[in-house]
This record gives sequence, structure tokens and C-alpha cells, in this order.
Amino acid sequence: MNNPSNRTRTSIRVLQVIMIGLVLVVLGRVFFLQVIEYDTYEAMGERNALRQEYIDPARGLIYDRHGVLLVDNEPIYSITVTPSLFEREQITLLAELLGVSDSLVTEKINQAQQYSWYRTSIIFTEISFESFSNIQERLWQLPGIGHQIESKRRYVTDFSGSHIFGYLREANREDYERNDRLRLGDKIGKSGLEMIYEDTLRGVPGVQYLRVNAFGQTIENIESEMSTNPVQGKDIITTIDAELQSLAEELMEGKQGGLVAMDPKTGAILALVSSPEYDLSRLSGRLDTDYWQAINADSTTPLYNRAISNRQPPGSTVKPALALIGMELGLITPNTTVYNSGAYIRGRPYRDTAPIGNYDLRKAITFSSNTFFFSLMDDVATKGYLNDWSKMLKDFGLGVPSEVDLPYASTGIVPDSAYMNTVFGERGWGVGDLMSMGIGQGLLSASPLQIAHMTSTIANGGNRVQPHVVLATRDPVSGLQRRKRFKSKIEWIDDSSIEIVKKGMRGVIVEGGSAYFTNNPEVPTAGKTGTAQNPHGRDHGWFTSFAPFDDPQIVVSVLIENGGYGAVSAAPVAAVLIEKYIEGEISRNFVYNYVMNFVSRPTDSELE
Amino acid sequence: MNNVKELNWSLIFIWFALTTIGLIAIYSATLGPVSEFLPSSIQINFYKQAGFVVISFIMVIGVQFISPRTFIQLSYVFYLFGLILMVLTLLYGKEINGARSWFGVGPFGGQSSELMKIATILAAANYLTSRRDISAENVRYALTAVVIILIPTVLVFLQNDLGTALVFIALIPVILFWSGLPYGVSLFFISPAIIGYLSVIGWHYGLIAAIILTCVIFFIQRRVWLSITSFVTGILTVSGVQLAITQLLQPHQIARIAAFTNPSFDPTGAGWNVIQATTAIGSGGLTGKGFMEGTQTQLKFLPEQWTDFIFCVIGEEFGFIGTGVILLLFGFLFIRMLNMAGNHKHPFAQLVIVSVTAVYFIHFFINVGSATGLLPVIGLPLPFVSYGGSSFLMNSLMLAICLNMDFYKREFSIYR
Repeated sequence: MNNPSNRTRTSIRVLQVIMIGLVLVVLGRVFFLQVIEYDTYEAMGERNALRQEYIDPARGLIYDRHGVLLVDNEPIYSITVTPSLFEREQITLLAELLGVSDSLVTEKINQAQQYSWYRTSIIFTEISFESFSNIQERLWQLPGIGHQIESKRRYVTDFSGSHIFGYLREANREDYERNDRLRLGDKIGKSGLEMIYEDTLRGVPGVQYLRVNAFGQTIENIESEMSTNPVQGKDIITTIDAELQSLAEELMEGKQGGLVAMDPKTGAILALVSSPEYDLSRLSGRLDTDYWQAINADSTTPLYNRAISNRQPPGSTVKPALALIGMELGLITPNTTVYNSGAYIRGRPYRDTAPIGNYDLRKAITFSSNTFFFSLMDDVATKGYLNDWSKMLKDFGLGVPSEVDLPYASTGIVPDSAYMNTVFGERGWGVGDLMSMGIGQGLLSASPLQIAHMTSTIANGGNRVQPHVVLATRDPVSGLQRRKRFKSKIEWIDDSSIEIVKKGMRGVIVEGGSAYFTNNPEVPTAGKTGTAQNPHGRDHGWFTSFAPFDDPQIVVSVLIENGGYGAVSAAPVAAVLIEKYIEGEISRNFVYNYVMNFVSRPTDSELE
Repeated sequence: MNNVKELNWSLIFIWFALTTIGLIAIYSATLGPVSEFLPSSIQINFYKQAGFVVISFIMVIGVQFISPRTFIQLSYVFYLFGLILMVLTLLYGKEINGARSWFGVGPFGGQSSELMKIATILAAANYLTSRRDISAENVRYALTAVVIILIPTVLVFLQNDLGTALVFIALIPVILFWSGLPYGVSLFFISPAIIGYLSVIGWHYGLIAAIILTCVIFFIQRRVWLSITSFVTGILTVSGVQLAITQLLQPHQIARIAAFTNPSFDPTGAGWNVIQATTAIGSGGLTGKGFMEGTQTQLKFLPEQWTDFIFCVIGEEFGFIGTGVILLLFGFLFIRMLNMAGNHKHPFAQLVIVSVTAVYFIHFFINVGSATGLLPVIGLPLPFVSYGGSSFLMNSLMLAICLNMDFYKREFSIYR
């Protein structure tokens, strides 16, 4: 009896020691967690229920010159899933709330799962506000499901404007490196005004601190000294005239080319079209991958901005400027007369399609006599004026960066001797290589924007202006702020020379080949046609013009690719636009109808 | 009927204290601000628990009027009844949280495995003490007792209730140890658990434990072959755990183990529970955030916060003071109950009280160990504190039986 009783007592003690020992281990652990490591866990607990959230600022809106809203924002609602937290039994509920089939939800969740088990993916986007708020209310029943409100651009215009506004895309690695305010997933402007004015439009995100529960539902907004309000992006007031832009796009539809309408006094761009345009709304919000791939693969390159990026020989449109340079260099005077025999002979014959006869400066511009300008270029080349010629031509905005507030504007080419050396090698070129530049062909190249720029300089009496699309920015704090644009008189151009050249350009409209379309008695217009020789196909048609003649308010430059002669392809487009802008309506319907039903025809040079 | 003064009032006080704290915590965990995110079926848990407390209290009183001999006489019948219930549960039971352990008729029902615990204890105790001079030292009797425990264990396993199965398995060494298994051999029996636990943390810890345990066993028992067997078992355990972790287990099981050894490895997945639980307790600090003020609890960062993670609710809202009181109460419970067993003269009563204490302790240690990150998360309720009707009722019944046998200990002769 003694022995088992001893054993009992010992066993009791052993069990008590083990149990109390382990209770003490737990006590030690709890002491460690709650007393020693309190600060760590206290902070973790705080952080757990506290979420720092960025409030995206509203992106600035875009208006036209008269205050018409062109681009605004609309919210898009998205549903996200974190597959590791999601319970598959809830698929039916989620499908019901979204108004879609169970199998679609299952498929989307499987896709998200394949992407990552733990990361949050967006599974449904641009869902209706109703579905969104239903899900928001039932979020506690849907572990792993989250929601997101973003905004996307909405284009409230009746025109495309794709090459003016540009599109937004998710920022890439380089963007993050360049701008530390960007966060993952942010969308930034990748073309057009959205790109150039990214920092203006974007605003500054606010920071708020939210108390959230384990489902990520917001319980309350916490007042914190660290929280900041978002600063809304600035609105942009553009120089675009919505009605004119709309008409310009309509006229250019079905054609390939570029168009720029400009206020010659300021350089303000009134309309800018690159045809074909693309549909910005399909690139807004969630990316329409099929559409994106389609426009990237399209052989007509709708993403390419033909109005400012295109580089084509300006053809005869550059003759008025060349005439001004010739007078300044003292190589010609208004009275200089050159006989056109059908060709200018300099080593070989250079063709001239103008009627045979004598041409003074004014007439040479009006009838676009090549002989007159070959002769001038011959002088420039042989008398060693090439570099002066080049420098002066650059004063018209050709061959220099255009300083427009749109991205990817081409500089174009205006050769000087250094340029010729790099192309042909030192002493590897001669007068023959320069001759065609005298009539705007050969190495010379420019964009429609640059041609409009050049024409503005002539129209405004020799002032260099800065082409621009943005007139002013506006925000609630600083109000309307006009952007400063430069304008400077080009010293070497004198008024009398300009008058002669302008008269020549006026003659183009009244007497020239395009008169049928462009000679509107109500709106005295001046202009110049041009044809850019195209070794790859049908020639490109140019037309540049300004009106009214006495007090120019608008310059319109048009390039119709593969349009043939500028007088019949590009000029009618400009004529309709000018009438609309100056008169407010189109009365010459035959021109409008002609443009809308335009079919290009070959030029003589092609027929040879 | 004896003098009511002889009732073990201190245990009744502990029962009352733990129950009250439990009700407070369940109230906070289901009816606090958190209730907004909980389905109504959970929100009524407090009232259901309160109802079970009342029923249990009446039952505890009622049981005191039964003769302790009844438990001996009915033990096998009870055991058989329990097994039938278990099989029925397996066939027709309701699945809750992946375990088919709920059996009900009409509005009444419960987890049959809860009833099986006390039934198994009574049956095994009766078997081992029904004749004089039999003890677990006799291998045949020992094995029969093990089988009596293993049958329900297998059924619980089939019900897919791993935590409860663990409780049954842990009963085996306790009962054998109490019935006279030499200390060294008993230690040998539980050594795989200790070595296994340490091996999960790191194989070298397991190895060190195997060596130390072998030395201790040799020191106690002085039997070379036992020591060698113990060492070989230890090595096999360490390598077995390694094999399981690297080769055999399913990814989600490995994830759970990995979450235990390093919760931050996968904070939103398997590590979530561990991180949220320890954060809740740790952020409670010394005095806690206050009743219904815990952010982890009220913002529903804790899973199953009315049952498996109730300790975290107490830790968060009442701090170290709250958890300290709970641990103190359990410490007293274990000491008082074991003393009660030690003071009893009847071996059946002794074995039943020790086994019941062991069941309480295993539940306590696994529950609190899971909540504090000492153990991998194994879902077991904290006795008297966690929400759970059948669990509370049966834990109270077990306590009532122990109190009863203690109450009648003088009449409950060693000789029948």
C-alpha cells in the first residue's frame, strides 16, 4: 500500500510540474508579446487597421478657345479579387450581384489565380454604379473581393481630336524613374496635349488615412496631420475652335494627310487634323487590346501625326518665302523678269509647267513659274549664298524645331553646306544637287505645321510667332493664367517686299489653277499651291493660304498625301475652312461637295 | 447526502470565473461593433452560450445527487452509446468547417466527439481499475486500454477533426502513465511528440532533444535496450518530420507549418491567422484596449474569434492582466484537480480525474499555444471560455463527475 501511494503522490507531482511548467511557458510567451514586444505589436495593430490611401486628383479638363468643353472625366468602377482570400462558395453571390453568369466569374477568378495567388487583380471593370454599390454593401460576405474607383477620359466632342488630345497609358518603368510622384498603375499622357501638359493636368494626389476592417472595408476617415487634400489638375483652355476642328476633320475624312489652321497673328492653332484619326474613347479606361493592336498594325498608321510629324518636300508653297530671301540677298528685285521657255537649262533642263513667257516676281509666284526660282537658286548656289539662304529660310520655322506644344513634331530639313557635306561628303555635291530645292523639292522637307508657320510669318508682315495649342491654364487658386508665347519681328524682311509676295499669293487665288475652288469674292484670300514629288507613288498635294487678304485672321495649310496637284486636292479643303471661319457658314456648297467626294488624279510628272 | 461544505467550492469558483470571462469575451467578439460584419447566426452565439451555461450549472448541481458508483456501472454502456453516436455522425452528420462532427435530431444536437471524450475516459478507467492488481504494466491490459481509446480516435479522424483526434491520442500516455507505466517508459511514449515539435522548428533541435531524452530515459530506467529504442525512435521522428515537410505533405499543409515557423513568410495566406492572433495579443499590452475596443477583434482581423481565437480577444481587450488571470485560473484548475485525484482513495476516481484534467490541459495548451504562436494553428476550443454548446456542456459534465466523485470520496470505498 505504501509503494503505490508513493507512486501516486509522485505521479501527481510530475503531472503538476509538467502542466504548471507549460502554463508558465505560455505566461512567458504572453508576457513577451504583451509587455516586452508591446511597442512592435501595438504599431502592427495600428497599421493593420490603418490604411494610407492616395486620393487621385481629378485630371484637368480641356476646353476650346470659346470655353466649349472638349475632354472631361468619368468614373469607372472595378471589382478586384485576391484569390488566396477568396472563398469559392461565394461565386454565385458575386455573379448575382454583378448580373453575370457563374461560369464567367469562375473563369475570371481562375485567370486571376493563374496570374497570382496572393496579389490583387482587377476581374471586372467599368461595371455599372448599381452593381458596384451592391457589391460594396455586401463586401463583408465576399472575402478577398475588393473595389476600386478610377476615372477615365471622356471625349464630349463631335470630332475626334485624337492628334491634339492624345491618349493616356499606364506609366512604364522609365516614367516612374523620371517622376517620383507616379505610383504603380498610374496612367499618364503618352501623346498629344495629355503628354506635353501631363504635369499641369495631373494635379497632386492627396493622402488620407482610413480605418479599415479585415475585409478592407472603410470604417472611418481618420483625421491626421499627415493627410493632405488632393490638388486638382489644372484645366487647359486650348486655341482650338471646336466648330472649325469638327469641319476640318469632316473634310479630311477618307483622305490621308495633315491640316493645320492657325491664327497668323499669334501662332494659335485653330484646328489640327491628321487623317486618318483614331478613336480616343476606345483607348480610354481599360485598354481595348484588340483596337490598340489594330491601329498599331494599320497600314495607314492612324497613330502617326501627319500634321506635325510628317516630313514632305514643301513644293511650291515655299516659293513666297524664297522670293523674300532672294530680294534680301539682292539677287532679285520685284522687277526682275525671267523668261520661261518651258524649262530652265543648267547642265540639264529643269521643267517648268507654267505658260511660256516673261515672269516678274509677282507673276512667278501667281503662276508658280519654276524657271524664275531655278534661276534664283542657281544664283544662290553659284554665288555662295547657300548658308545665308538656309539661315533665312529657317527664320520661317522650316528646318528648326517648331516649338509647338505637341510631341513628336518633326524638325524637317533645310540644308546648308554642313548638311550637304554630311549627306554627300565634303565637295561631293554641286549646284545640281541644290537646284530642286529652289522649287521646294529635293532634300527640303517640312510638316504641314511648319508650312502654316511659314505662311503666318508672311501673312502677319514678317513676324515670327510660336505655334501653340494651349492658350491658358485655369485652376481655382491662381485662376486663369495665359501662357506666354513669343512673337518677334524678323529684322531682314521689309514691308515692301512682303507686299509684293502677298500680291503674288493673292494672284494664285484669283488667277491661278485653284481659282475655281478658292476664289471666294466674299473672303479675299491669298495662298500658294504645291506638289510634293513622291518617288513611292502619286504626288502629294499642298496648299497653304491666309485670309482675309488685308487683315489675315487665319492661315490654313493642307497636305493631301497622294492627292495629286495641290490646287485640286488640298486647296478646296482650305477654301471651305476659310469661308467657315471668316463667314461663319458655308455658302459655296459645290466646293464642300467636291471635297467630300474627292477622288485624286495623277499629276503630269507622273504621267510622263 | 453529504455536507455541501465538502463540495470542492474552489473548483466551482474557477468554473464560474472562466465561464464569466468567456461570456464577456464572446459578447465582445460577436455583439461588439464587429457584429456589423457578422451574420446573424453568429450574433446569437452569446445568448446560446448563456443558455448552455444555465443548463450546465443545473446539470453540475444535478450530477451531485448521483452515486459515483453509477459511473462505473454505466461506463461500458455509455462508451457503446458514444460509439454508435459517432458512427451515426459519420454517416448522417453535418459538416462544419470541414469536419463532419455535428449530429443532431430536430433542434437538439452537438458534437458527438465531445460526449465521446468522457465516455472513453470512463470506459478506459473502468477497464484498467475493474480488478485488483491489474495495471498498465501488464502489456495485455495496457494494449486493451489503448484499443479502447484508439477506436474513438479513428472515428474522430474519419470525421476529419484533427484537433480532437489529437486530444484522444494524448490521453493514451497519460492513462498508461497513471496506471503504473514506469516513468522512463512513459517519457519514451511522449518523446516523439516533443522531438517532432522541435523538428518542425529545426531538425537540429529535434536531434538535440532526442539525445537529451535518451539520456534522461536511461538515467530513470537504467535499461540499455529501452534507451537504444528511444534513441532510434527519436532519429526516426526527426527524419520522418523532415521527409514529411519536404516530400509527403500537401502544399497547403506545408504552408501551415511554414506559417508557424515563420508567419511573415506568407502574411496574407497561411501566416495570416498567426500574425493577426499575435498582433491582437501583443497590441493589448499590459492593460488592454478595453471592452469592445480592440481593433483586431472589432474590425474582424481575427478568424473564429468566439471559439479558437477567444484568447486573443481577451488578450487584446484586457491585456496582460486579462491573459494573466486566465492563465492563473487554469493553473489553479490543474493543480486543484490533480490534488483532488491525489487525495482520492479509489483508483477509478483517480484515473478519471487525472484524465479529465489531461483533456482540459491539452485543450488549454493547444488553444493558447495556437493563439500565441507557440504551436501551429490547430482548432480546439478553450475549455469553459470558448463559444460552443456541446463542448461547454461536456466540459461541465466532466467537471461535475469529478466533483461528484470527490464529494462522495469517503463513501466511495476502494473495495467494492
